[in-house]
Amino acid sequence: MEGAQANKAHRQGSTRKPAKAKLHQNGHNAKAFAVSAPGKLQRQAARSGEIKERALHVPMVDRTPEDDPPPVIIAVVGPPGTGKTTLIKSLVRHLTKTTLTEVKGPITVVSGKRRRVTFMEVANDLNSMIDAAKIADLVLLLIDGNFGLEMETMEFLNIAQHHGMPRVLGVATHLDLFKSASSLRTAKKRLKHRLWTEVYQGAKLFYLSGVLNGRYPDRETLNLSRFISVMKFRPLKWRNEHPYLLADRVTDLTHPQVIAQNRKCDRTVAVYGYLHGTPLAFEDAPVHIAGAGDFIVSQVEKLPDPCPTPHYEQKLEEIERERIKAAAESGEPIAKTTRRRKRLDDKQKIIYAPMSDVGGLLMDKDAVYIDVGTEAFSKDNVDAGEGEKMVTDLQDATKSMAERFEDDPGLQLFTDGTTLQHEEVQENSEKQGLLDEVEQAEILHNTGRTKLRKPKMIGKKITDDVEFDEVESGDEDIEIESNQMAVDLGERYKEDELEFAEDSEIEDDNTVIAQRLRGRETKTWNINKLLYSSISPGEVLQRWKGLEVEEDIEENDEVFFKKKAIDEDFKLSKSEFPELEILRSLFCQVGDDDDLPENGYQSLKNRFLIAPKLAENDGEDDTEAENVDGDFEDLEADENEDSDLKGGEAEEDQTNNNDDFADFDEEERKAEMEEPPVLTTDQKRQLAAEKKAKLKLQFEEEEEQDFGADDFSNEADNWYEFQKAKMAKQLEINKAELEAMDPTTRLKIEGYRAGSYVKLVFKDVPCEFIENLSPEYPIVVGGLLPTEMRFGVMNSRIRRHRWHKKILKSSDPLILSLGWRRFQTLPIYTTSDSRTRNRMLKYTPEHAYCFASFYGPLVAPNTPFIGFNILDEKNTTGSFRVAATGIIQDLNSSVEIVKKLKLVGYPYKIFRNTAFIKDMFSNALEVAKFEGAQIKTVSGIRGEIKRALSKPEGHFRATFEDKILMSDTIFLKTWYPVKIKHFYNPVTSLLMSNKGEWQGMRLTGQIRRDQNIETPLREDSSYKPIERKERHFGPLKVPRTLKAQLPFKAQIVEKKPRKRETYMAKRAVVLSGEEKKARDLLEKIESIKREKESKRKSKSQEKSKEKLKELAKKAEFRKEKEMERKKEYFQRAGKRENSQKNGGGGKRQKR
Amino acid sequence: MEAAVFQGHHNFRERVVMATLHGRPIKITKIRSTDLNPGLRDHEVSFLRLIEAVTNGSKIEISYTGTTVIYHPGIIVGGQLKHQCPSGTTVGYYVEGMLYLAPFSKNKFSIVFTGISNSSSGPGIDAIKWGMLPMMEKFGVRDIAIHILKRGSAPQGGAEVHLVCNTLLKLPLTLHITEPPKFSAIRGVAYSTRVSPSMVNRMIDAARNVLRPTGVDVNITADVWRGEHAGLSPGWGMTLVAESKKGWRLTSENVGTAGSLPEDLGEKSALELLYRLQHNAVVAGDQVPLTFIFMCLGSADIGRLVLHRDQIDERLVLLLRDIKEVFDIEVVFKDEGETMMAMVKGRGDTSAAKKIQGF
Repeated sequence: MEGAQANKAHRQGSTRKPAKAKLHQNGHNAKAFAVSAPGKLQRQAARSGEIKERALHVPMVDRTPEDDPPPVIIAVVGPPGTGKTTLIKSLVRHLTKTTLTEVKGPITVVSGKRRRVTFMEVANDLNSMIDAAKIADLVLLLIDGNFGLEMETMEFLNIAQHHGMPRVLGVATHLDLFKSASSLRTAKKRLKHRLWTEVYQGAKLFYLSGVLNGRYPDRETLNLSRFISVMKFRPLKWRNEHPYLLADRVTDLTHPQVIAQNRKCDRTVAVYGYLHGTPLAFEDAPVHIAGAGDFIVSQVEKLPDPCPTPHYEQKLEEIERERIKAAAESGEPIAKTTRRRKRLDDKQKIIYAPMSDVGGLLMDKDAVYIDVGTEAFSKDNVDAGEGEKMVTDLQDATKSMAERFEDDPGLQLFTDGTTLQHEEVQENSEKQGLLDEVEQAEILHNTGRTKLRKPKMIGKKITDDVEFDEVESGDEDIEIESNQMAVDLGERYKEDELEFAEDSEIEDDNTVIAQRLRGRETKTWNINKLLYSSISPGEVLQRWKGLEVEEDIEENDEVFFKKKAIDEDFKLSKSEFPELEILRSLFCQVGDDDDLPENGYQSLKNRFLIAPKLAENDGEDDTEAENVDGDFEDLEADENEDSDLKGGEAEEDQTNNNDDFADFDEEERKAEMEEPPVLTTDQKRQLAAEKKAKLKLQFEEEEEQDFGADDFSNEADNWYEFQKAKMAKQLEINKAELEAMDPTTRLKIEGYRAGSYVKLVFKDVPCEFIENLSPEYPIVVGGLLPTEMRFGVMNSRIRRHRWHKKILKSSDPLILSLGWRRFQTLPIYTTSDSRTRNRMLKYTPEHAYCFASFYGPLVAPNTPFIGFNILDEKNTTGSFRVAATGIIQDLNSSVEIVKKLKLVGYPYKIFRNTAFIKDMFSNALEVAKFEGAQIKTVSGIRGEIKRALSKPEGHFRATFEDKILMSDTIFLKTWYPVKIKHFYNPVTSLLMSNKGEWQGMRLTGQIRRDQNIETPLREDSSYKPIERKERHFGPLKVPRTLKAQLPFKAQIVEKKPRKRETYMAKRAVVLSGEEKKARDLLEKIESIKREKESKRKSKSQEKSKEKLKELAKKAEFRKEKEMERKKEYFQRAGKRENSQKNGGGGKRQKR
Repeated sequence: MEAAVFQGHHNFRERVVMATLHGRPIKITKIRSTDLNPGLRDHEVSFLRLIEAVTNGSKIEISYTGTTVIYHPGIIVGGQLKHQCPSGTTVGYYVEGMLYLAPFSKNKFSIVFTGISNSSSGPGIDAIKWGMLPMMEKFGVRDIAIHILKRGSAPQGGAEVHLVCNTLLKLPLTLHITEPPKFSAIRGVAYSTRVSPSMVNRMIDAARNVLRPTGVDVNITADVWRGEHAGLSPGWGMTLVAESKKGWRLTSENVGTAGSLPEDLGEKSALELLYRLQHNAVVAGDQVPLTFIFMCLGSADIGRLVLHRDQIDERLVLLLRDIKEVFDIEVVFKDEGETMMAMVKGRGDTSAAKKIQGF
């Protein structure tokens, strides 16, 4: 063997440098300084910019109070059987440890330190859905995961979208019904994407699996409730402009006797709930109760919060503690302090749901039942909580008001020091019960003072001392107020001291009052109390200024009506200015002393912005004009010296002296000559510095504090920030100013703030409202703005919803949900003919917006609305019920809409360009109306109506641009005005016993169907196949004389008529018997053959058709297969690729 | 809506204007019922006609004696109009009324008024032009102008005044005037129609003599009208305006009567201006109702306006009561010694007339 193994030659190493070394060729890492991905940075910047921009919204003022906001309304929406009740029960159970037996009406629950939520189950009818969409802050949209989105869900989403779109949180339930994990996964994904297209990309969808013990799993509920409790809400435009309330309790206050007399009498109804939105007006607030109608709030009472937040309670406690502290300092025995709470304990997890059977409080149609508990309960339980105490107090109906006040100061537990004493008073008056309501009603009418207390009278009872400022708030308040005073101060102060309390506001803080009372020596009137009282303006001023001691006010006020009569004749006493002589004496300028107070100029000095005077001898010697000039000259000289100091100021001063320009130069020279030699440089500098300071001061003075402008310009770097800062500043001012007012004034100015729990009393409510009350249907009370109380025509932009099956017909009734209201109206659809006129449309266009004009209560422009054809369940089919959506554009009291009208006539006599037309008008008067109007023939010849003909009535003479034909038809195109029908039919679903069955005016089609009336069809209107008769024209006949004159080329070639008969014409062919038979046979055979052929042909055609069908089917099948194959292939390929990329590959590779 | 009921002829124009702005019907009874000449005056009826012309759908019912008026307001539509003002009062009476409505209209206002430009029976056009328009700017009404095409004195008139308002507001801005401004200049117009121009100069000299000691810039323009632009009657008068740098204006005006001296008139005007400055803070005279009404129309925030103590007079009390009657808004005063701070919470709802553009 050779032994020598022929080894493979060593491969020469590459001489090329490795990539890394290459990078370091020039001493540094080139990659570090290169652009790795060109354009990446730009893309990043663009993306982040876009995100930032998308986050921007038009700055809007959020008017919900920050410190004690109303509860968040959470509407739980979904088709029946999706688990709405179960969800509410689970959430309530999680939040309060209370198990609900039934969910009826709104349920308010404390969900955090500063937050409460109101749950509201929305029934599956359109009316409830509409009302819920208008007030809900958050919508829990329940979706049956097994089924997918249902029609109701889609309808609700559309409704919500057109009422400002609250936050929507999808909740998919029934997910435990899925057998396999993969199908669950795909179902979830499908659902999620479907929801995203409806709500927004990335909308949150919660998944709840099966039900355990009648609740959803605790972990899932917890997650959901956490998500809810941190959610933030953007103010929505409509809600930010209106007060509204979701009633959680309704009571009938009508006197039982009145009802007994007449069961159908109008009722007085109290509605309770938390206020939302803007503050509710102090008195006579107009509201709309959705589904019931418009009402005026006859009485509002702020009640203690039945479901206070821990934060609020803590604040109360703090106030209490401070009071105790103060009491301890003043030497009173120290009461037991309540401990400070650090965490939500179970006692604070309050639930308030008067309509559901919860917490021992059950609301019935006519009464509220309170479960006082077991025998362990005792009335005088010292350790009882606030709520318990209040309930026990409620039972003490035998005690009088005063007694209750004296015995039980614990009643104040709900109220804080400053504001709530007043409320408490109101609360007490509320507790007086049904019987007192009648009296209260009487009292309410009796607003305004009947008697004014005579000031400075000694030795009167306190109860007689009606405070002037209290007069307007009604008699019962006065009495209680004085009672309270007696309790508060009775022992400590003498009654005559109390006499000075005219001006003091109602404040509970004893010390403050005491100080005020002691400190007050002179009697002054508060202008705010006088301003809107019933005394005459002159007297108001007299009292306010304390000019004259009123000789006999009491008498004046008793003759109230006489006063008014005088009022009418009352003359504004004098002109604003005094006589010329007096004016002269006020502003005398010759030789008087400046120090005299009556010198007008002196007192006016602070009203003028004058250039500073720097020279020593300046003074205020304005007596002599020349002297004045001299002063200015001095200044001018200085100014010129260092004019770079403040150019603008110098300029201004120059203008000051315009009037005396003549001797100005001379004076200036004089001044210049005088000054320079005297001053040293130091002195000069000092002078300059002084002047600088003075000018600066003046400059600052000049720049008045203009609100908003300079405060933020430094901080805010853009317009958006600036606007936001401005709003915040304004809110701050509002808060500060309102807090500075006393509670009654504040209430008058601001109204009842959102977040307060109020009782609204309505009078003359239809009895059906109470009789058919069912807590499952939300009672929404929405405040109305003044515009919304007026009626008129609204022009709007409207579009038929693309999912609605039918197009909409003009002046067919449409139920609109606009603002708070739901009403039926008759819209007329129009389009704008190149902005010259509004032309009526018979039907809405298929896929475009058009205009709609309708009559109804006005709503501010830019408000969106939604329309339906039917609301009732009975007529509901499976189809989509939202018929139209739109937005209000313009309000008006009338609108011009026209309809096209074509008048047709026929000529009966034609001259050259003139023709007589008949059949267009019926009399000469009508013709006269249209004289000069443009007319047209079918062939397009234009003309004009000239004059009516005297003889056949209605015929007229017209001229045309050309001769018309007798067969022409003449058209006159005109416009006929269409009037909008004033039809407004509010949806009163809440008054029905069966709330879902409200039916309004029927559609035209419906009526026809119900009455079996055929749709009227005019002969003319129907389309018929166009039949065009073949026209036969006679042969051209040219007269012989003309023919003779024609040139040769145009000669008509005509054959001469044949004279002899042809061969065939001469002979007649007669068939013999045989021949005849043969022919007959042949003919028969031919016809049979033809028949056969045609049959075969039709059969083969059929066959080929079928074949084609089959082929198409096959092709489709093949295509599907192909797609599946491709999909599978690419999936596999992708996975392979992925696993290769990732190295080891994941466990998913299995598939 | 429930009608607001008033008695007496006071604030007639303001009541009508407020009702129109708020959309609330009003009923005014006992208009000069005890007067020898009872009922509405010509100029008031003319004003009602003008209101009818600039609104759509308003209804006016005047009783047989003219002592009772029921007014159902419509929607303010504005537009281009001409209005012939009767001789009872000046053109200013109507122009001023229109200033309230113009910014809240559906369409722009462009009205030509003919009548008397200046007279002692009503507000002069100069005072409105130089005193009211800058006021309106404070509320965001920037594009508004008054063009005096012709002047005409009482009794025959012959003036032509063109009011143009191009600004259409949703809400007037909320005002916060917490300190009385300082006035830095006094300007003015002395006009004459169909009389010798020397009258004007004499007025200016007299006024300037009075104003000189104040130490501020005084600039009074002579405005002499001749020929057909000077109207039909002879007359002369003066309007003085104190200006602050921030755009606040206080005015005084006077019109010469037969037999009076121009010197007296000049002096009187100047003294009255000084008196106004002494007894008014930011707004005075006819500016006051405008300011308060615009503040009421503003957003639902608290606006503040400083007033001099002397400004709270019968007129103001009457006005505020009328405001309360129509708008249901109460004004609260805060005592700050020399001055009073008026606080008004705006109504806060947007003007109904405003339309949004079509697609």
